[in-house]
Amino acid sequence: MTLDRYTCLETVRRLDDYLDRELSARETVEVERHLDVCNQCLSRFRFESAVLDQLRGKLRRIPVPEGLEARLRDALRSP
Amino acid sequence: MTQTEVHERVTDQEFESLLIGMLDAAYRLALRLTGDPQDAEDLVQEAALRASRFRSSFQAGTSFKSWFYRIVVNQFYTTTRRKRGTTTPLDELTDAHEVFLYARSLEAGLLRPDTDPAAGVVSRMAEDDVARALAALPDEFRTVCTLYFMEDLSYQEIATILDVPIGTVRSRLHRGRHMLQKQLWRVAQELGIVPTPSTTAPGEGGGDT
Repeated sequence: MTLDRYTCLETVRRLDDYLDRELSARETVEVERHLDVCNQCLSRFRFESAVLDQLRGKLRRIPVPEGLEARLRDALRSP
Repeated sequence: MTQTEVHERVTDQEFESLLIGMLDAAYRLALRLTGDPQDAEDLVQEAALRASRFRSSFQAGTSFKSWFYRIVVNQFYTTTRRKRGTTTPLDELTDAHEVFLYARSLEAGLLRPDTDPAAGVVSRMAEDDVARALAALPDEFRTVCTLYFMEDLSYQEIATILDVPIGTVRSRLHRGRHMLQKQLWRVAQELGIVPTPSTTAPGEGGGDT
């Protein structure tokens, strides 16, 4: 029989590293084991993951000004 | 010059091609760092000229992106940052904790079991509103968060760009993201997307183990 070793607090403290895939393999297993049995933490993790995706999408939506490349090439070739 | 040095260097043409290939992404990063289109273009151009001047310090086979972004960030610190206005004082943001937006959304009745998490507060905010929240973070947190959100970089790659230990990146990124959530909530309140403080009740509710 396996035990759910992480509490909600221990799991939430690893939330950022987990979402960034920066946890060790052992910690990842422990976090996922907790998420399998805790709907509230699962809900928190899904929410955080959705927020990160939305922030990336919105912050990256930037039109690049026309002529940027030409102006840079000119600057690089100026004495 | 040794044979190894010749082998490790790129030609002028290769260098310019690498630089031009990074231009759009560098501009987007610069805009999120400076918050102003003209400052962003100036920053990218100054960084590109500096990169060109010190091109011999770039070694073929290493990450051009990390090398160039390091120049962009350093250039931002030494020039553009001086022009910026004040950011939100650190002490107003440091009590932000993990899952701040989740907790506030739950309190405000915006999250229910059947709610799609993607339909939260941030989805109702415009790009400029999100950028305004990011811009309010203190510089050392904003720089790490900007690199994180604008590029798919690992903690180690961000550490290389900023020339700081990976533990510093982890700590600033986590704290920065928590601060950003608090700032996003503040902006959402200003926009009327979420209730103002007088209409919300404290406490996220029980159920924790």
